[in-house]
Amino acid sequence: MILLEPHNVIIQSTLADKIIKPSSVDVQFVDYDGVRFHLSTPERKTVLLLSMHIRCWDELVRYGAIDFLKREYGSLLQSQPEPEYDVSLIIDLEQLPGSNEERDSFIMSVALLKRNALAAPFERGFTSQKGLESAGTGTGDLMQIHYRDEEAIYIQASHDRVTVIFSTVFSDETDRIYGKVFLQEFVDARRQPSIQNAPQVLYSSRDPPLEIRHLPNLRNTDDTGYVTFVLFPRHFANPTNASSTISHIQLFRDYLHYHIKCSKAYMHSRMRHRAAEFQKVLNRAKTEVATTEKKTVSGRTMLSR
Amino acid sequence: MSVLAPIICDNGTGFSKVGFAGNSDPSFVFPTAIATRGSSTQSASAPAIPSKPGHLASKRGVEDLDFFIGDEALANAKTPGYGVHYPIRHGMIDNWDHMERYWEQTIFKYLRAEPEDHYFLLTEPPLNPPENREQTAEIFFESFNIKGLYIAVQAVLALAASWSSNRVTDRTLTGTVIDSGDGVTHVIPCAEGYVIGSAIKHIPIAGRDISQFVLNLMRERGEMATVPPEDQLRVASKVKENYSYVCQDIVKEFRKYDAEPYKYFERYEGEHSVTGRKYSVDVGYERFLAPEIFFNPEIYSSDFLTPLPEIVDDVIKQSPIDVRRGLYKNIVLSGGSTMFQHFGNRLKRDLKLLVDRRLDASVLASGGVQKSSGVEVDVISHKRQRYAVWFGGSLLASLPEFYTSCHTKAQYDEIGPSICRRYQIFGSAT
Repeated sequence: MILLEPHNVIIQSTLADKIIKPSSVDVQFVDYDGVRFHLSTPERKTVLLLSMHIRCWDELVRYGAIDFLKREYGSLLQSQPEPEYDVSLIIDLEQLPGSNEERDSFIMSVALLKRNALAAPFERGFTSQKGLESAGTGTGDLMQIHYRDEEAIYIQASHDRVTVIFSTVFSDETDRIYGKVFLQEFVDARRQPSIQNAPQVLYSSRDPPLEIRHLPNLRNTDDTGYVTFVLFPRHFANPTNASSTISHIQLFRDYLHYHIKCSKAYMHSRMRHRAAEFQKVLNRAKTEVATTEKKTVSGRTMLSR
Repeated sequence: MSVLAPIICDNGTGFSKVGFAGNSDPSFVFPTAIATRGSSTQSASAPAIPSKPGHLASKRGVEDLDFFIGDEALANAKTPGYGVHYPIRHGMIDNWDHMERYWEQTIFKYLRAEPEDHYFLLTEPPLNPPENREQTAEIFFESFNIKGLYIAVQAVLALAASWSSNRVTDRTLTGTVIDSGDGVTHVIPCAEGYVIGSAIKHIPIAGRDISQFVLNLMRERGEMATVPPEDQLRVASKVKENYSYVCQDIVKEFRKYDAEPYKYFERYEGEHSVTGRKYSVDVGYERFLAPEIFFNPEIYSSDFLTPLPEIVDDVIKQSPIDVRRGLYKNIVLSGGSTMFQHFGNRLKRDLKLLVDRRLDASVLASGGVQKSSGVEVDVISHKRQRYAVWFGGSLLASLPEFYTSCHTKAQYDEIGPSICRRYQIFGSAT
């Protein structure tokens, strides 16, 4: 598993189960970046209520998340979300599409709830780029999404590209070093001929990029870094490209952290292997104790007690 | 911002149960299996060191990321190039490399949680060596940077799960746990949250044996003739799960079945897994004979002959005298193979009989001078028995004391892995 999937597996598997056999349910679970879900059947066994809490909801609403979700889910979206949550969907199991493929795609779209909520600002950036392109100059407004306590995504459109900036903070010293190597590798790997079409990646530690330098309340400590992705119009030329770009770029932070953890696990397995090898060498160095049977003159064996 | 729910991870020999605290059922139950590149025989060797020059990224392949866990692992077992491994043996972690990667994918692919934001509750079998706990702590704190960790003994969690039964009035962590899964059955006495290691007993009869016994019975009756051979064991285990119950008296039960076979015989309808051909079998005496092997093991095996009630009695007799009353009073069932109807009642009756007989004998021996006030025997069965250990973890982790009983990342950084050698019991009312 190199890439993380954009959809939530718990939503997907629970919905698939409940469609076959409706029963009452009340579960709470999470997704990356502090997103909380609550799936329950408040009234009937066949009516599921799925609610989501996301930290940066107010910002997302400002960038058109509600319109995006309305377009995606239509009448499923509730105008009044469940208390303590930001978005609620009502799924009536009796009014599902008939054929199996339609059902699967419906389940998948529900499982992509978090992705869709976060997709709105990206979509907005893409459309504003198209507007600016015809004007030929100028930049769109800078959108900020504070999706974690100390980290944020900044999106800005200009006439020939969309810039996406991630601020990264590592809580752990080891992670920071791994992260730095990783991010520098990102920049280097792009030079390989096979991935020339990938978006340009820039990494700067400590110094924020020019686009966001004017912002107040930027952290300016040693453990902060900024990763900039430059998306050109070819990355979101058609709807399929655009949506897969959004799915991938959203998961960048989780992808980075997942791979830092995987590299550590790999290191650990090498260390264990090496320790086992050394153990073998040490065992070889043990002197063999001569075990000769000691006998008395009469032929009896001496036994030590 | 409220704290995100702690993650409960119960890795058993056969199946892993993982989910979030506060829920009544685990979010995922899948086999503890991992399918990796390379044949399953050469498991000890580490991934090869890359030798290609160039960028760091191109030096090493992604072999260490190319693996599947759980149901996907078993589905890929036949794919050329993959080998399936079971990183846990007899409840204890056997292969740390595989286990670390197994956890990696459990957290990131299935739970979709950033481990840095969560507390974790893990389980361990009784008599787990402290070195294993240290290794586990090392992986979770150093690879995953988790916020806090609590490692609980499975038997203690099973006791905590019994608090959900309405017959339990005081939340105590003293009791005898009968944990019967697929491979082996354990009888574990616990006193105030600590396992009495010297008195634990194992019974080599569990779910797998019951299925095999049902299969033998049905073969003898000739029912299995219509069932394709590859489906037979699956049919037997379905019969065990769906139709079996514990009777109070075998002889009476046999008579009942013979007098009115139409009333008691059930019919199982199946379908061939490949061709889709339908078949059906009659389910008869195995309905009550299947779980009977716990109480009369001689009907199944010739080398293990001690009935379950006697084992439980022995275990309690070997425990310190001051906790024996508590152990008799609170016998808790856990695991899928204790789910048979009336299992608890039967066990309670047989055990009570044993205890009373012994008390009567001692009264007689003292010449009627010393009389006992009697010993209360009670077996608790509850709705959450199947995933009792996981549920107990979910219950404990949603208590506020959980966060103070956990070892935090800061404490780990200060002291090191040895911090996990000691742990704190919490949650009980006494």
